[in-house]
Amino acid sequence: MDLQELINISRIPLPYSQKVIDLFRNPKNQGKMKNPTVIAVAGNPACGDMITFYMKINDQEVIEKITFESYGCAANIATASIVTEMVNGLNLKDTWKELSWKKVVEEVGGLPNVKSHCGILAVGAVKRGIRKYYQQKGLVPNWIPRGLTSEEKQALEEEELAEKLSKK
Amino acid sequence: MSLNPSKIRGDFPIFQRKINNNPLIYFDNAATTQKPIQVIDSIKNFYEKYNANVHRAVYSLSQEATELYEDSREKIAKFINAEPSEIIFTRGTTEAINLIAYSWGLDNLKQNDEILLTEMEHHSNLIPWEIISKRTEAITKYVKINENSTINLKDFENKLSTKTKIVSISHVSNVTGVINDIKNISKITHENNSLILIDGAQSVPHMKVDVKELDIDFLAFSAHKMLGPTGIGALYCKKKNFETMGPFQGGGEMIKNVNFNSKIQKPEIQWNSPPWKFEAGTPNIAGSIGFMEAVKYLDSIGIEKVSSYEKDLTKYALNRIKECKKTIVYGPLDTSIKCGIISFNVQGLSSHDVALFADTFGIMIRSGYHCAQPLHQVIKLQSSARASFYIYNTIEEIDRFVEVLKEIEQF
Ligand SMILES: Cc1ncc(COP(=O)(O)O)c(C=O)c1O
Ligand code: FES
Repeated sequence: MDLQELINISRIPLPYSQKVIDLFRNPKNQGKMKNPTVIAVAGNPACGDMITFYMKINDQEVIEKITFESYGCAANIATASIVTEMVNGLNLKDTWKELSWKKVVEEVGGLPNVKSHCGILAVGAVKRGIRKYYQQKGLVPNWIPRGLTSEEKQALEEEELAEKLSKK
Repeated sequence: MSLNPSKIRGDFPIFQRKINNNPLIYFDNAATTQKPIQVIDSIKNFYEKYNANVHRAVYSLSQEATELYEDSREKIAKFINAEPSEIIFTRGTTEAINLIAYSWGLDNLKQNDEILLTEMEHHSNLIPWEIISKRTEAITKYVKINENSTINLKDFENKLSTKTKIVSISHVSNVTGVINDIKNISKITHENNSLILIDGAQSVPHMKVDVKELDIDFLAFSAHKMLGPTGIGALYCKKKNFETMGPFQGGGEMIKNVNFNSKIQKPEIQWNSPPWKFEAGTPNIAGSIGFMEAVKYLDSIGIEKVSSYEKDLTKYALNRIKECKKTIVYGPLDTSIKCGIISFNVQGLSSHDVALFADTFGIMIRSGYHCAQPLHQVIKLQSSARASFYIYNTIEEIDRFVEVLKEIEQF
């Protein structure tokens, strides 16, 4: 008997939606990328898990290809997978506007409360990646807010994360 | 088995609860333990019959409260074979270690002195020393741990030097359950003329800890990890060390006399004698009474029996977990050097998911870093899940846990 059946029989509410489980088992766009334009590494201050996005961005500022690597939980892997599907082929400005934590959570069929932070990580990491892309080019587009968005604040850089965890 | 778990369970009201339609299986005892009705009642009883401030008034009620508070100190002292005057009440292990770091550390450490810690320390035995090291310019050093998570004694002896003023290490690791050979470590430390502080948060609740036999200078532990209430713990401090310790916090209770000297327009302060010198302000009186009751409860079973029962449970669990093919257990498997703490991961799953799924079956286990980041970096883990046992856990609960773990592996 697998977990799914057992849960059905014992009527235990499954913590994850079917969509999350499916994406966790068969994530899209997972793995490293050769010669990406930007690598965005971000860590989750709530649990300490890390995620990496690799993005290939062309001259028209369109995301041509995006992959991720994660050792986080199922919610994290599923939301990262959805994010790659959502933004693939979009230009950076639309990506920034389109991508929100709420949308991502809706797309995966909801997340249990204790897992909401896992979805924020993927969104924050991609936004940090976009910011980094422009920093590398020395550009400051006016549609990127000066201060970090709340999503970016939930996706810490590695050193910030290490410091945060050592205080816990 | 040596103790009667079903009788014990009857004393713990929380086990009447269901979680997600399952009977509660509580396997996070390294974080905090459940409370028997005797402890709960003792606190209620105090507030209903004896509530007054301590050490302050001549009236009967205050006298009675004071007597209970001091009885508690005596009971706790006896539990670890110390004198009552060597017990300082604190908020818990963390505050006890901070007390030493500040009271002793600020007055006795200077530039280039060394504080010797290990890679297996809980943050509460690490951050206070890092803070004090910044203030005093003393240096913290970390003893390596072996592949099987025990302390590397060679590295310990190498790092111990004439500069080492204090060694501060945990008795039992809250991640792997490894029991350190404190008697030996203490002997080596004292031969080197250094002091030794033991973080007893995970040892005092689970095994006989005799401060005289171990010959240690300081011992910190928390009531809530040994059936008592939160917000109270104790610091054992060997009498001779009091001479070198300045006050910790200032306030009422920790002073004997304050005379206002009108010539210099300043108060002249005389400290109270230890242990009261280190207990500023109104203490956690009800907490101390709950603490005393918890110790009485453990005494009524016998701490040796607690130890051997937990070892039996751990041995049984480790053996059964072998059936779970995707589960990796960290640390030694030999229960002669290990307490009832099992850290593990299920291949391909985040520890947080393991804990989340276990929760749907009513099983409470921890996931994450267990406040011991350096150790996790050393054994190269993202994070781990942890099951930890106490006297009310049973073989049947472990069977259920293994059954659920096998299901989780299928996720
Ligand atoms: C080894 C160790 N030391 C110290 C502590 C801190 O104890 P407390 O939070 O009760 O002060 C803990 C508890 O988490 C622990 O496991
Ligand atoms: S628990 Fe860490 S990302 Fe979900």
